[in-house]
Amino acid sequence: MNADQRPPVLEARLEQANLLKKVVDAIKDLVQDCNFDCNDSGVALQAMDNSHVALVSMMLKAESFSPFRCDRNIALGINLTSLMKVLRCAQNEDILTLKAEDAPDVVNLVFESSESDRISEYDIKLMDIDQEHLGIPETEYAATITMPSAEFQRICRDLMALSESVAIEATKDGVKFSCSGDIGNGAVTLRSHQNVDKPELNVDIALSEPVALTFSLKYLVNFCKASGLSNSVKLCLSNEVPLLVEYTLASNSFLRFYLAPKIGDEE
Amino acid sequence: MPAATLPPPKRVLVDSTKAHSNANFTIPSPNTAKRRKLETGSSPSKRLKVSQNGTKIGSSQPKSQFEDSLEKLTQDISGLKQQNSEKDQQWDRPGLDDFDENRDSLCFQQIEAEEGTLHGGRTTIKLFGVTETGHSVLLHVTDFLHYLYVAAPVSFAKTDCEGFKTYLETQLAQHQPAIHSVQMVMRENLFGFQGNQQSPYLKITVTDPKFINRLRTTIEGGNMNYKQMWKGVEGGILTFDSIQYVLRFMIDTGVTGMSWVEAPQSKFHMIPHRDRHSNCQIEAYVHYRDLIAHSNDGEWAKMAPLRILSFDIECAGRKGVFPEANQDPVIQIANVVTRYGEPKPFVRNVFCLDTCSLIVNTQIFEFDAEEKMLMAWRDFLEKVDPDVIIGYNIANFDFPYLLDRAKHLKCNRFPYWTRLKSMQSQAKETNFSSKQMGNRDTKATNTNGRLQLDLLQLIQRDHQLRSYTLNSVCSHFLGEQKEDVHHTMITELFNGTPESRRRLAVYCLKDAFLPQRLMDKLMCLVNYTEMARVTGVPFNYLLARGQQVKFISQLFRKALEQHLVIPNLQTDLSEEQYEGATVIEPTRGYYDVPIATLDFASLYPSIIQAHNLCYTTLLNKTAVDKLRLVKDEDYIITPNNDMFCTSKVRKGLLTQILEELLGARKRAKKELAVETDTFKKAVLNGRQLALKISANSVYGITGATVGKLPCLAIASSTTSYGRQMIERTKEEVEKRYTIANGYSHDAQVIYGDTDSVMVKFGPKDLEKAMELGQHAAAYVSDKFIKPIKLEFEKVYFPYLLINKKRYAGLYWTTPKKYDKMDSKGIETVRRDNCRLVQNVIETILRKILIDQDVQGAQDYVKDTISDLLQNKIDMSKLVITKALSKSDYTAKQAHVELAERMKKRDAGSAPTLGDRVAYVIVKGAGGAKNYERSEDPIFVLENNIPIDTKYYLANQLAKPLGRIFDPILGEKKAGQLLTGEHTRSISVAAPTLGGLMKFAKKTQTCMGCKKPLVGADEMAGAVCSNCRPRTGELYTKTLTKVSELEVRFGRLWTQCQRCQGSLHCEVICSSKDCPIFYMRMKAKKDVEDAGKELTRFDFDAGAAW
Repeated sequence: MNADQRPPVLEARLEQANLLKKVVDAIKDLVQDCNFDCNDSGVALQAMDNSHVALVSMMLKAESFSPFRCDRNIALGINLTSLMKVLRCAQNEDILTLKAEDAPDVVNLVFESSESDRISEYDIKLMDIDQEHLGIPETEYAATITMPSAEFQRICRDLMALSESVAIEATKDGVKFSCSGDIGNGAVTLRSHQNVDKPELNVDIALSEPVALTFSLKYLVNFCKASGLSNSVKLCLSNEVPLLVEYTLASNSFLRFYLAPKIGDEE
Repeated sequence: MPAATLPPPKRVLVDSTKAHSNANFTIPSPNTAKRRKLETGSSPSKRLKVSQNGTKIGSSQPKSQFEDSLEKLTQDISGLKQQNSEKDQQWDRPGLDDFDENRDSLCFQQIEAEEGTLHGGRTTIKLFGVTETGHSVLLHVTDFLHYLYVAAPVSFAKTDCEGFKTYLETQLAQHQPAIHSVQMVMRENLFGFQGNQQSPYLKITVTDPKFINRLRTTIEGGNMNYKQMWKGVEGGILTFDSIQYVLRFMIDTGVTGMSWVEAPQSKFHMIPHRDRHSNCQIEAYVHYRDLIAHSNDGEWAKMAPLRILSFDIECAGRKGVFPEANQDPVIQIANVVTRYGEPKPFVRNVFCLDTCSLIVNTQIFEFDAEEKMLMAWRDFLEKVDPDVIIGYNIANFDFPYLLDRAKHLKCNRFPYWTRLKSMQSQAKETNFSSKQMGNRDTKATNTNGRLQLDLLQLIQRDHQLRSYTLNSVCSHFLGEQKEDVHHTMITELFNGTPESRRRLAVYCLKDAFLPQRLMDKLMCLVNYTEMARVTGVPFNYLLARGQQVKFISQLFRKALEQHLVIPNLQTDLSEEQYEGATVIEPTRGYYDVPIATLDFASLYPSIIQAHNLCYTTLLNKTAVDKLRLVKDEDYIITPNNDMFCTSKVRKGLLTQILEELLGARKRAKKELAVETDTFKKAVLNGRQLALKISANSVYGITGATVGKLPCLAIASSTTSYGRQMIERTKEEVEKRYTIANGYSHDAQVIYGDTDSVMVKFGPKDLEKAMELGQHAAAYVSDKFIKPIKLEFEKVYFPYLLINKKRYAGLYWTTPKKYDKMDSKGIETVRRDNCRLVQNVIETILRKILIDQDVQGAQDYVKDTISDLLQNKIDMSKLVITKALSKSDYTAKQAHVELAERMKKRDAGSAPTLGDRVAYVIVKGAGGAKNYERSEDPIFVLENNIPIDTKYYLANQLAKPLGRIFDPILGEKKAGQLLTGEHTRSISVAAPTLGGLMKFAKKTQTCMGCKKPLVGADEMAGAVCSNCRPRTGELYTKTLTKVSELEVRFGRLWTQCQRCQGSLHCEVICSSKDCPIFYMRMKAKKDVEDAGKELTRFDFDAGAAW
């Protein structure tokens, strides 16, 4: 393409293609088409799922890339299913470079194998997505729970077998995940826990007042697909405010999910 | 009853400034009506002035268009009869002064016939009708006796008649003599060829028609075996001529439905007033032999000045419930009465509860109690004495509702709407089912002596429409939208001021007026009258009964002439099916050469005639042997292996009936061509249509296995001939028109269905193709027996053949100009599609066929899809409507589920049973079913819920588009229409509703580059720092957009005001079928949103110029 003739406006090199692969994998079930907003601070994505219950907010800071160059603000409208198809062609350890021109038609992805000299190059046709930007304002949360991401994933999966929704209750004693369904009920309780040998297994509960909320497990299980991105996950809760599930990535990048609490009997 | 719907206290009425308080209102004699008129200005022109001045008497509201037309009505009429303008709203029929019973004969058009009694129980026929001078008549026809036939046994002699009569009498064991006479007559059985031999039959006449069924069942049960004369009758004895008394009478006297009859002077006897049964002006009786039935030709094709009442009622319903008669009052009844043949109604009035401001040229009757209003209306009905009552959905709603309401209010004298003094009107549940109409539960209310025409039923029967609301029917036939006031709105208007009630009254009056206009436009009364005359059945039968009775009536009439008797066959419900018509496998594709269409003119009737298929010519093996008939000489064997004798041996009855029908049609058409009078023209046109329909239905009756006289031999022979002929035509055409025979191309039959074949002759030239078509039609016709005729009618060019019974083409009958675009079986009429599909299909068909611009059609499709994905399509085009007909669907359906959800949200505005539910499909969580994703369009608009554009693309557009484009472009290219470049631009709306939306905050984006504005200085503004230089340009752009939207909204609003006919009231219409309604709602929202956008510039940091 004419990428050779003009220098691209965006050029972002990611050491491991795996990162993007996992991010996209985690959100592709929630969002089908969305804009990747690129500016000099990094690549951001924000989108709500179709039923407007969950919101995905991703920020890959410029520091996560080496090098990162973005001369102008550009929005890359990408169909995530198509993107996933292309990303599957990359090895986990491949080096990935994203390139786009000003007012682009396509985004160019280059995978360089770290071991061999194999270079593969893909273009994805872009979409023009007219989307409103929605954000959840930063709030002080009453309870912040940090726990191993694998643990959270396990809890969600286990409880999913019993019910469609989970009640999360945070008290000074610990945090209790409970559910009840047609076949019976179940609960998992975690207490604050410090593991000196393996700090990644720490469970940390910071609480200003007790919180009890109910959420849809279907969405939580979906969020857990991001578990591979980070060893620990942060859950922030306040009464009658959406739950924030945050996976922190290297160099201040993050992947956040917001989920509206269930109120009463409605779904 | 909720207090709110109670009429306001009487004080309102007393305080009313109106000079003519109607608190003690009684039905005015013409004199009081006149006085009232004088109060409001004695001449229409004067009154007009008054209302223009807007003074106390006239309404302070500006007049609507409809009111203008109301006004014109009287002006026109007063122009017509200048000297006599007081008669304008006179209700009575003309006085009887000009009728002298001793001098004149009694001649009238009878409109209804029913069984009745006179002089202490003697059964008579009651004929209701109207004379040419407009007098209502009830004529009792006396002494007509019902009878039946039985085949006489071989040993039965004339002398046995008396003995048999006595024997029957004892067997029947009635308290009074039941048998009038037994006669031996020579008759012939209709069913099967009898060798042209008449044989003796016994005609048993009963003294009263009520005995006929008893007699028939006893005979058929085998309990009448006088002297054991009948041999081997275990299965009972077959009787002949089973038909209702009324029809028997009409057949034997030659009276047809809606025909003129005459009782000659001095032959009829007037009945004194105290003995009268009815309210008719003239009531008399006559012996049936003295009655003269006029045939419907020439002078007697005219119509009497029938009085037609069109009315509509309004009820004050409660929120969320369909009006129930035991709760919700009737608040207004609007009436329009027209005399047949006059273009303008002579009575227009509204009966209202509570006060109501005046409406120009309309009488308003105000009442403080519902009971009084209902009774006054009934008195009005009796006084104005309509012959025909019409309305929209009156049979299932207005009539039963009024009756139930009166019962609830204990108005015992109310339900007397009939012409008979002692006969109450009652609503009965009836179930009507026929193959043509399917199963319908309806209510029937008797109004003896008055005809009823429910326009809704009529239109449902005769026309296939997207929707049958009065609104959409009117916009379809009359080309105008009508304000649709939702029934919950009615109560609000009613509880308002006299002005708001006036508004309701105008609406109600319009609803009463529209059925009348529809009827005039569709010429229902004339066409149905002619149908009644042609088939000879009473008018009411046409609507209340199926197809069969019409044919039976014709058959009996014909059989009577020829001394044939018709067996009363026991119909066993056999599911025997026979093979129908053939369809030549279509060679699908897009043809850009002319395709000639050859049609068999009235195929089935002409087959029956050509091959002499009939009940009377049907043969079986034994008959052939017995009569020693010669094959192909005396009889033929049909392709279905049935045998019929040839016309040389006996001409079939059906053939004769058909000949007469078709001959009469030819005559009617000829007369039509020379006739100049519009009313006579309408009559003749109605007649030729009725004749055509009747001729075509003959075949259907023989095939109806549940019918009275099924004869599968005839039906399946007819279709088998039809199949053979289509095949033969194909062969002949393809054999003759070949290159070998000197033609430029080999002709190819690309498709054929039932009675037509489509031929591709090859030449590109239209004229040449037409020439060949004509030639081929004549050539093939010669190969068939008369009167079978292949006609060349039209050429399709270009022609798109999609599948069996699915095609479209441009229709040419002359080589100069195409006549129309013709499409069959393509998604342009189906109602379960959204309007978008309809529009797209219509447009591309037009582009492909008329403009012959396939590329243009493709571009159009691409643009539309692109617009759809970007949410630029107007939502009214995406709305799907379905009627909520019953509550217990087994499968979950989108509209039913939505109605449930709406009920939970707000029970008041939710659709109820019978309403049409409008919905759109919105985006839902992954894996949600369609029925979970249906949503109320208004709700969607208000909350900006994203529409599932992909659903519309994949489930609504994809298939019909594929069907059209596959044959033209090939499957691969056609598929690209749905996935190409143009689908890559989408728009995702952010809703204002949903779990997260309460918390989410919208980040404004830069109007120039879409970058989210997050910095403190630019957050509230419109553009980002990069785009600041473009502020001016962007501001202008936004401003233009706002003003454009404002103009659009203004236009839509005006359109609605125009439709509701008033510029000074709020638009309250909520018609779910009206595209403008949604556009208006959308435009309103768009203006609001765009206005908000504009204000952003006020806060823009860089805009401080």
